[in-house]
Amino acid sequence: MTPAISVAGLTRRYRDQVALDDVSVEIEAGSITGLLGRNGAGKTTLLRVLAGQEFQSSGSVSVLGGPPAENEHVLRRMVFVREDQVYPDFKVRHALRAASWFYPNWEAGLADALIADFDLRPDKAIKKLSRGMRSALGITIGLAARAEVTLFDEPYAGLDAVARQIFYDRLLADYAESPRTILLSTHLIDEAAALFENVVVIDRGRVVLEAAADGLRGIATTVSGPVLAVDEFTAGRPVWNRRRLGSQASVVTVGQLDEAARARARSLGLDLAPLTLQQLVVHAAEWPAAPEAADVPPPAMEGASA
Amino acid sequence: MSTLVKVARYHLVQPFQYLGLTWMVLAFTFAVNEIIFAVAPVSHHTVTTAHGLVSVASTDGRYTGALCSFFILFLVLGVTSIGRSLPFGLALGMSRRSYYMGTALLAVVLACADGLALTALQAIERATDGWGVHMHFFRVAYLLNGPWYLTWLTSFVGLALLFVYGMWFGIVHRRWNLFGTLTFIAAQVTVLLGAVLVITWAHGWTGVGHFFTGLTVAGLTGLLAALAVALLAGGHATIRRATV
Repeated sequence: MTPAISVAGLTRRYRDQVALDDVSVEIEAGSITGLLGRNGAGKTTLLRVLAGQEFQSSGSVSVLGGPPAENEHVLRRMVFVREDQVYPDFKVRHALRAASWFYPNWEAGLADALIADFDLRPDKAIKKLSRGMRSALGITIGLAARAEVTLFDEPYAGLDAVARQIFYDRLLADYAESPRTILLSTHLIDEAAALFENVVVIDRGRVVLEAAADGLRGIATTVSGPVLAVDEFTAGRPVWNRRRLGSQASVVTVGQLDEAARARARSLGLDLAPLTLQQLVVHAAEWPAAPEAADVPPPAMEGASA
Repeated sequence: MSTLVKVARYHLVQPFQYLGLTWMVLAFTFAVNEIIFAVAPVSHHTVTTAHGLVSVASTDGRYTGALCSFFILFLVLGVTSIGRSLPFGLALGMSRRSYYMGTALLAVVLACADGLALTALQAIERATDGWGVHMHFFRVAYLLNGPWYLTWLTSFVGLALLFVYGMWFGIVHRRWNLFGTLTFIAAQVTVLLGAVLVITWAHGWTGVGHFFTGLTVAGLTGLLAALAVALLAGGHATIRRATV
């Protein structure tokens, strides 16, 4: 499948820091990809470059077949919803009306349904909205635009659990009806994990993990139980993280466990728990610094081959 | 619908500041001046006629200059047309170029329409002998005092110039914040200072004086139009690398 977004050797340097450091990544068309990483990892900068709002220091960026910066042909087929969006002195309905002019596939019915779901009043001034309600407005614009490439940067900051569930449900329902390429950055990884077909994890400006979400299931396992049994089981296996509490130990091993390994763990009285996506991201972010890193293959390879 | 028209409409989706605020401020300024002129005594001078000495009201010099508030508002509109509107505009997939040209289109259309309205008000002022109180509000000495088409042209060019100048300020502030804005002002002052020094060293002040005393309003309007085009080009060069 041709990639909707293709980035090679992308670097964005600011005066005193490197926000993006030689990032290369491809996002396939018609997929939902999670862009994950810690605060300051470079997620927003990457999305801003993709949306043509920021310029790269070096490297190449291609969205829908062309560089996005100042490229009308690309820009009009893309929407970018960001957490810290600045709005003019508009009321909610002004922002929606303006957005409807710029997106050829604008779905007014969906916009109406979403503002009803979120309880967003059209006559309210945007600057008087709470943080959560501003997020709801951004989400409404992002989904109703039905743009071929939809970029969400922390779209639900400040939204309560019910409203977040509305977002997930609406996103999946509308995506099924009108497939597009969605790239979504978030901190609430486990909550959103079910949405993602692919994940990209960046840390300190570098891509540390790029994989299909399916391929990540069972890629790492937490083994816990008595120290001796855990040590025996994990001997010779790549290990990411080791914790010990009295006579009990908890170790994260990397790699799929076959049936024989599982049977052996049971006989040793060990608990096996697959790492959730969130735990995986935590470890992936730590990966270059982890003491056992030297003999562990980069997780990107494992994920990609699965 | 062309992209530039869409951008201009984007600014007018909340039309109050462009269509309402300017006229409200003008109405208030006008009311204040009207009241002052109604209560201020008109000076008289005596002239000798066949019937002897007659006292005549002298109304020639009753200019207010308050119309400049309307023009200054256009500068402010230009600044705010960038401010918080640019980030949301780019979020909606406008390119910087079309945002800029669409906003300039709005400036031209607005200046043209408002200039025409000022011209009409000036005609009413002439017909009513200065709103019944001998007031020169829409007539400004030298600048807006000629035939209606010249009033229209000069106010159109003046309003558009100030709007475009404000846009450039808005973009500079967007890119380099307060320090950049102050540097921008300092740079302009430096250019003017340089011009003054060059003219002084070249003993050119007599020539400059002759140039300006010989300058007609139409000539001045032409110069302002050229300046507006230069400012438009400067703003365009500045917005190309603006980030939000």
